[in-house]
Amino acid sequence: MPKPRISTDWMCGCAGCHMSLLDMDERILQVAELADLRSSPITDLKEPDKSGVDVGVLEGGVNNTANEEVARKFRQRSKILVALGDCAVFGGVPALRNFCGVQAALQRAYVDAESNEPGSQIPDDPELATMTKTRAIHEVVPVDYNVPGCPPDADVIFYVLSELAQGRKPELKDDLLHWD
Amino acid sequence: MIQLTINGKQIEAPEGITVLAAAKRAGIDIPTLCAQKELAPFGGCRLCIVEVQGFRVPIAACTLPVSNGMVVNSETETLKKSRKFILSMLFSERNHFCPFCQVSGGDCDLQNAALHEEMTYWPMQPAWNDFPVDSSHPYFILDNHRCIVCRRCVRACGELVGNFTLAVAERGASSLIVADTNVPLGQSTCIRCGTCVQSCPTGALIDRTSAYQGHEKAMSQVKTTCVGCSVGCSLNLFVHDNRIVRIDGDWDGAVNHGLLCEHGRYDPMQNTHDRITTPLIRRNGTLEPVSWDEALGTVADKLKPLAGREQAGLAAIASTRLPVEVLAMFTELFSVGLKSKMVTSIEEGMTTAVLNAAAEKHGAFEGKLDVLRNADTVLCIGANIARYHMVAGFLVKRALPKGMHLIDVNTEAGPLDEFADLALKIKPGSDLALINGMQAIIVKEGLGRAALAIADPDAVIAEALQATGLAADRLAFAARMLAHAVSPVILFGKGITAQRDEKQVEAIIGLATLTGAVDGERAGLLALKGEADSAAGALLGLDQPFSLDGQEAIYVLLGDDFASKRLLQKLEKTPYLVVQASYHSALTEMAQVVLPAVLWSEQAGHYISLDGRLQEARQAVHPPEGVRLNSAILAEVAMRMNMPIKQDWQAMIHGRKSSVVLS
Repeated sequence: MPKPRISTDWMCGCAGCHMSLLDMDERILQVAELADLRSSPITDLKEPDKSGVDVGVLEGGVNNTANEEVARKFRQRSKILVALGDCAVFGGVPALRNFCGVQAALQRAYVDAESNEPGSQIPDDPELATMTKTRAIHEVVPVDYNVPGCPPDADVIFYVLSELAQGRKPELKDDLLHWD
Repeated sequence: MIQLTINGKQIEAPEGITVLAAAKRAGIDIPTLCAQKELAPFGGCRLCIVEVQGFRVPIAACTLPVSNGMVVNSETETLKKSRKFILSMLFSERNHFCPFCQVSGGDCDLQNAALHEEMTYWPMQPAWNDFPVDSSHPYFILDNHRCIVCRRCVRACGELVGNFTLAVAERGASSLIVADTNVPLGQSTCIRCGTCVQSCPTGALIDRTSAYQGHEKAMSQVKTTCVGCSVGCSLNLFVHDNRIVRIDGDWDGAVNHGLLCEHGRYDPMQNTHDRITTPLIRRNGTLEPVSWDEALGTVADKLKPLAGREQAGLAAIASTRLPVEVLAMFTELFSVGLKSKMVTSIEEGMTTAVLNAAAEKHGAFEGKLDVLRNADTVLCIGANIARYHMVAGFLVKRALPKGMHLIDVNTEAGPLDEFADLALKIKPGSDLALINGMQAIIVKEGLGRAALAIADPDAVIAEALQATGLAADRLAFAARMLAHAVSPVILFGKGITAQRDEKQVEAIIGLATLTGAVDGERAGLLALKGEADSAAGALLGLDQPFSLDGQEAIYVLLGDDFASKRLLQKLEKTPYLVVQASYHSALTEMAQVVLPAVLWSEQAGHYISLDGRLQEARQAVHPPEGVRLNSAILAEVAMRMNMPIKQDWQAMIHGRKSSVVLS
């Protein structure tokens, strides 16, 4: 039986969940034995195979059109889609932006912030993705497993990945379930 | 008892309690957010819904009284689904950013409820509406984003404290917790007791000092007794790394049932006084650090020759903020061992001496604070329960909306005026005339419940009006209100006791008897006294006025208390002053020898509350190095003078008649 194939990516998050993934130390070898890590932000291959993967793992929420594309691509190409971490599950810290709106957030970050050079402008390159409201992944595409935590512990990630790699349904409860 | 079944378990419950309370008694956990011990059932959050056989729809267990043969289920699949839905709605209404909330990870009832239902996400995302945050209060922040509008804070403020500062503005999803008519909390009628913060099930009320200092489960909890005043509130201290992180009222506390005032909850957390950490001896005009051995030796050498000396002898004065054990040792050492005639407390018996004198005649004539529970009219005289003994004030204020009447007699305007049915402002020193006047009106109108002969009531009334400056109808109204009461209670304070005028206490006992406040078993008369161990100080005889006549040396046992300006003035000319204290102060600046002592939280002992409860105080933290226990310092001084102390405080407090029943 071929090893189940896994792809991961990050969107509007801080990469902390991927750091937590690496935090599982030598157990990552067990995951590598059980599964075939196809693509991730820390591998050469950056996106899941067109032929599809068994498990797609997404960190971060959806806050622009590029994120939307990644989320849709992952949903399309993954049999099982996992939302990893509070930003992916709830929107997280980036969702604080939703209170003031995109325009005010950009204005503050690129123009008004004390550290900006005088005359700084909001980038308007047409190549750039368009910013949207920050959303949880399940608001954009259906998610099979939500794994909250900021970040989820290495133990939680190991549990979820090893269960999925072995064809079982991970059940998050008790010590494995936390929201912070 | 009522028989019912919850989740297949046969249980018994007393009649009149709710299904939720019955389940809790039987150790069955039904999730809830808006229900809280001490608060009346509310039925706001709906999380405690249960299925009851014969009922068409699920019903909230917190507002459902138990009845015989009831079959209740709280763990069906439908209910679990419903609870998840209810929680989803709660999360969708506000903005709960768990990762950076101080209560996330164990201290949040809302998050715990969601984790209990194994929720991994919010099925309904928030609408990201912006809500106000109020950070104008010195002790806490109100963040409406995290509020679930369970109204526990609002109910605590009204039902428990009787202050009614907090309220809910707007409706539905726009509901907001506001202070008064939506003014900033820091400028509101808030009396800073913090009961709302202690009641909040989420992170909406953020305690400035304890937020982000660790989770409750990572701290040790120490149940002890507040030493802020004589009420004797039970505390629950959260201690981490030898530091008190937060002070909560103990919901199981005998007197306070969870309540605390600003002085009990926040004052100890704001402590910035400079600790003394080494013994000091004055040399060439300046205090210099010395060893304990040298300091204690010096004190013993100085004091011993003064034992029993009539002229240029020894006086000793102690704070009544110290445990009975320490006060007893102090009394024994200085009164018995060193035979000093001037051994007293810094309160000088101003809140207790006349009470003990009256007890010689009347026995224990005072009641317990519990008597307020059933009181229908309270007369408060010579005390300011809005500023001192505040928790006793809460017990009064919270009963007012239920129909209790309050007659508050004071010399100046105060925050209690707007709560009182009758706020009588009298001229200073006219308390006795007022009491006599009220008695005369009651006797004249034949409203008395006990026999009392007054030769010329009209003359007494005229004198009362003249002395107090009150209008005749106001005084008569007060007298009638008290006389018509079914279960009146009279609270009195320093205004009555400080002059050491036994007539005043006799008059108030007379009024209590006449109105039925004191009647057989019922004792609706209570003096508020002063510091945490006022009552113990009185029982140990530490209650004479502190008058000096050329004493050579004075030993001041201050502990973590502070000396009044009056005391400082009296001590100014003392040739040799020994100060046993925790903090550097104007007093230590005058001392020849300073002995560093522990704080209230660093020692164990007992305190006798204003209504005679002997309560235990436990040690919560270790003192800094170089600082010793008050009892250890006294014992050491005694030992060096070959005056062993018996340390039999239990016997000593029973050596004198008490005005309160010790319990």
